[in-house]
Amino acid sequence: MDEDLLKKYWSIVKTELEEFKPGPNEDCNYYPCHFKGQDCAYCYCPFYPCMDERLGKMVHKENSDEEVWSCQDCFWTHRSDVAKLISENFPFSEEPPSDEFRSEIKKKIEEKCSVSAKPLMILGATSGAGKSIIASAFCRIFSDMGYNVAPFKSQNMSLNSMAIADGEIARAQYLQAVAARTEPEVSMNPILLKPQGDDISQVVVNGSVYRNMTVTEYYEDFTLNEGVEIVTNAWEYLRRTKDIVVIEGAGSPAEINLSECELSNMKAAEIAHAPCILVINMIRGGAFAYAYGTIALLSSERRKYIKGIIFNNMCGSADCLEPGIKKLESMLGIPVLGVLPHIEHALPEEDSQDLKSSKDGSEVAIVHLPRISNFTDFDALSLSGVSVKFVRQPDELYSARAIVIPGTKNTFADMAWMKENGFFEVLKELRGKVPILGICGGYQILGKGIYDTEGIEGDVKVAEGLGFLNVSTVFDTTDKKTVQVCGRLENGEEVRGYEIHMGKTESHEKPLITLDDGNPEGAISSDGMVIGTYLHGIFDLPPFRDYFLEKSSISNHEEIDYDAEVDKDLDLMAETLRSNIDMKVIMKILEDGI
Amino acid sequence: MTSLMVQATSSGAGKTTVAAILCKHFTLNGVNTVPFKAQNISLNSFVTPSGGEIGMSQAYQAWACNKEPQTDMNPVLIKPHGPGQSQTVLGGKPFNGTREEIDKYIADAYLRSELDNDLVIIEGSGSPVEINLVDRANMAVADMADAPVILVGDIEYGGVFAGLYGTYSLLSEKHRQRVKAFIINRFRGDMSLLIPGIDKLEKMIGVPCAGVLPHANLLFPSEDSLDFISGRGSEAEGTDIREAWMENLERIYAISQKYLNYPLIESFINE
Repeated sequence: MDEDLLKKYWSIVKTELEEFKPGPNEDCNYYPCHFKGQDCAYCYCPFYPCMDERLGKMVHKENSDEEVWSCQDCFWTHRSDVAKLISENFPFSEEPPSDEFRSEIKKKIEEKCSVSAKPLMILGATSGAGKSIIASAFCRIFSDMGYNVAPFKSQNMSLNSMAIADGEIARAQYLQAVAARTEPEVSMNPILLKPQGDDISQVVVNGSVYRNMTVTEYYEDFTLNEGVEIVTNAWEYLRRTKDIVVIEGAGSPAEINLSECELSNMKAAEIAHAPCILVINMIRGGAFAYAYGTIALLSSERRKYIKGIIFNNMCGSADCLEPGIKKLESMLGIPVLGVLPHIEHALPEEDSQDLKSSKDGSEVAIVHLPRISNFTDFDALSLSGVSVKFVRQPDELYSARAIVIPGTKNTFADMAWMKENGFFEVLKELRGKVPILGICGGYQILGKGIYDTEGIEGDVKVAEGLGFLNVSTVFDTTDKKTVQVCGRLENGEEVRGYEIHMGKTESHEKPLITLDDGNPEGAISSDGMVIGTYLHGIFDLPPFRDYFLEKSSISNHEEIDYDAEVDKDLDLMAETLRSNIDMKVIMKILEDGI
Repeated sequence: MTSLMVQATSSGAGKTTVAAILCKHFTLNGVNTVPFKAQNISLNSFVTPSGGEIGMSQAYQAWACNKEPQTDMNPVLIKPHGPGQSQTVLGGKPFNGTREEIDKYIADAYLRSELDNDLVIIEGSGSPVEINLVDRANMAVADMADAPVILVGDIEYGGVFAGLYGTYSLLSEKHRQRVKAFIINRFRGDMSLLIPGIDKLEKMIGVPCAGVLPHANLLFPSEDSLDFISGRGSEAEGTDIREAWMENLERIYAISQKYLNYPLIESFINE
């Protein structure tokens, strides 16, 4: 730029610096000249011409051979965080500062706001492996570190979408944006597939409905053509407006029937040059096989993208995995970055398959005790058209039509768990409003207390129960009762079941059942709203199902502050990740790239 | 006097159902069939007419064989009740003894099952390639029974090829020889999309696919506490849940006629 022109240019920049008007200027005829939502504080860039080829390029002037620097494609100085740093770091001066001085300031700002975002991709060996929540946790951690972070999932198949300012995206990416503390945008999930049947989906592109496609149409035509371009554009936008982009894959990257035409895993990694971490769900076992198989089925080119493995959902101590991990690492030459424990949280899972049942109040809530036994008892409830919800949070009991405390392998421990987690308080509140049934261990919990005189179930000797039924249980012999029984309810109808338990319960309540041998079984409170029984399989035949469900009525569901819960859980997941995975290693993976 | 074993890439992949389907198939074909699972880790149990406790899924498979549940069908039931703690049920009753005694009991129970019947359908447990552990419930049992193995992979959550390929690859050479076929379970959608993958996998491991079972909202007694966490629903009508389980089994068995390669499966036990 010649001196006169520079002086003229600088006088405008000076005014921009003095006045500093951040945010988009929607009144401007040229808006949005770089991108929607751009910061217009520095319409005239203080760094012009920066000659940084990551941000712009030389172009020919119209009808002339003369070349000028074009920053048409630069998003950087139009990021609001960059604009803010410019206003804080650029000193006023009447005269234009030297190029060296300007480039020093630019470098300083670049340290905080990267010119090109660094990607990190989270793949899973299967869907439901925990990619989505681990990606959320990484978003939160990087945000905690002061980075401007965005989530990205090139293609998501989900019926759980959210309406945001500029369209519709999958709920998982919405949640990740919340985790990243950034505004959700359609670019974070440019392609959303909403299944309409087994082989047809509604395709949503950049937040708006595109059209319905069959699976074949989608993979054999769309992904290879428009698909790649849509994903590339969305990625380019995030790359140029963020410091770090956490990319989530979809399903498994090793679907060898689809690998030529899939957009959501290795193709996305290639587009973004993203180093990848593979997440393996441990909960069903076979984790080593899935880790080995997934990586072995990738082409050698694509295998280079995999920089580490995370085992997720470990129940119990991870120490016993060590020999297996060592073998796996030496077979694959890829490190296991950490083992994450199974965590209880209220965060929505990624796929529709994982959705819990609706909150329409027509459900029976089963307290999901940590050592729940014989939950096949509840399969039969579906025969009466009732859905069953296994609840881990006491708040979820409020919406239930009826409540069941199921059998447990360890009454003392699970009763302590219920107390620690606030179940006792909520149940006391609901006592009399909805029918409450206790089966086996659940029956024992409904009583006044349990006494273990010989330490059969552990060290605890005495524990106080809910006291809803005037019964008490003693464990004084290692004898285990296992017997098939039949009997009749008070209305004379037939029930069938079987008992498997230790401990003997003495009841001062009306019995629930008269067994065929004439003995009483179970207990029912005087108002009929609390029932206890030792019989597993009690729901198998219709009479007891009808008897129990007739007692239920619909109670009012109290709203809980869901947003606050979500935020708390995001912090919990971030903390879990931080304490099980060395973030220095993760930062090195980001730094090194492919 | 012969056996066939069903193993899988993970728990919850459909071993119980596939084994029950095979129990039903061979029973209907006049083969005196009995289920066997050496060691079951489950809190879902059933009580046999003689008052012994066994895993619910072996009771279910017994009914599929038109038999009453017996403790020999599941000699060892492990009921976890705390971190690193569990109760061992041996031959239907709580047991406190050595691993040697347990192994001996399993071998005897298997021998009795084999002697009294034409065919023992054996179910494995979890994955056979937990390379951090000593496997007692999968290939060790197959070796004991000299059983051919069918490997089941669950496609519902994806990654089925990786699961099958990884499981096969991590087996020892000797145990790979036992694997005669694989089955893909819970498939939904357009089968033609899956075929190129099956062809590739068959070539890679040299083991044929014995069929792809479609996803069905099946009612059956589940073994581990995961099926409800994931909200796997099922639909059924009727009155008695045991009848409903059997009706559902008939339904999936009828479907399986179309999707499973029964002549291939039968050839394994005739060898």
